[in-house]
Amino acid sequence: MQSKIIQVAGLGFTIAYAAFIVWIYATEPRTFKEVTTSAQVTAGTYEINQEQFNSALNLFRREQFRAARDEWQRADPAQRDARTQFYIAYAFYREGWGRLYFDQELFKQGLEAINRAIALSPATPLMIDDPDLQMHTAAELKAELEQGLEHNWSDANPLKILRRRK
Amino acid sequence: MPQTNRSRNRALVDFVLLPFLFLTVALLGGLRIGDESRTFIFIAPPLVTLLLAVLSMLLFIRGGLLRLHQWVGGDLPPLTNVAHVWMFITIFFATAQAFNSVLPERGLLHWLFSFFFLWTLWNNQFSSFDARRLLRSLAILFGTAFILKHMLLASLYNPEGGWLKRVAGTLLQGVALDAPGFAPATGYIAFFTLALYVVGLIVLAFRQDLHDSHDSALVPPRCAITKTE
Repeated sequence: MQSKIIQVAGLGFTIAYAAFIVWIYATEPRTFKEVTTSAQVTAGTYEINQEQFNSALNLFRREQFRAARDEWQRADPAQRDARTQFYIAYAFYREGWGRLYFDQELFKQGLEAINRAIALSPATPLMIDDPDLQMHTAAELKAELEQGLEHNWSDANPLKILRRRK
Repeated sequence: MPQTNRSRNRALVDFVLLPFLFLTVALLGGLRIGDESRTFIFIAPPLVTLLLAVLSMLLFIRGGLLRLHQWVGGDLPPLTNVAHVWMFITIFFATAQAFNSVLPERGLLHWLFSFFFLWTLWNNQFSSFDARRLLRSLAILFGTAFILKHMLLASLYNPEGGWLKRVAGTLLQGVALDAPGFAPATGYIAFFTLALYVVGLIVLAFRQDLHDSHDSALVPPRCAITKTE
């Protein structure tokens, strides 16, 4: 009888171990910290670091966009929080915005971040209630970033110098 | 009492130790450490390693290391059949990953190594083998591949270079030996993986010997269970 128990327990344990291996290869964590973060995401216990998020928000409001993005990336290492990804995209937008031209590289990265934010909140449209921002939805920000990446004849319009950053 | 202990120990080896060993090989076989970033890189087994694993499994069966007809059968309890099929699967993936750990990741050398492995395993299909000779042959095959990849090639791709790099550079002028560089820890991981794999195969061979010497007529795990049942 005890052999049977060992058999069942061994089978259960090794199947769980195999599932862990498949999960490791599917998520491809790069460090032990990423392993724990991915495990938290899978278990549904993942939370962003609120302190780092707030510190990033302060940097963002002081127009230190690059530093703000770094802080937000540290606050949300697994890139699983829609709100943080929205702010990262907004930081890319504000840093890349220019009166004469838009920084294409920053806008592209902004677009990637906003797409992540949209993918993370598929059920309800993402809405950020922040009075310091002029665009509150992910759709607005995405449209703005996409327009910045498009090239057409209106780019030659000299009145564009009067446009304002959102 | 000794009989009960024996059946318990057999069950532990068959259903816990061996699958755990082989799954650990499957985990570590694709693990590399980035040269500059020092981060984990997980490389899933390439298709060719699955083919090599199939050929190896055929060799294991021919060499008597795996006795499929004793492991799975209509007269065995369903759970025992499932456990044995599961062990078979773990050995298959461990073999694929053991090859993965000694194959260069890409480029001409990847195909050269794959070709030589295929050639050796294909030739072995037509040789007469017993479990011990098969084990020796596999240990030498993996040992040679390990030395070639993790010692000679690693030295070849060392950014600081050496006499080997200069000689190879002269001999293979114009031939692109594209291969990614990894941290030295990768070699240690590969060594541990291969050692674990060979140990797993040795335990498997000893397990067969034990079963044969104790009870040649009965199938080992079934024997263990029927005795306790």
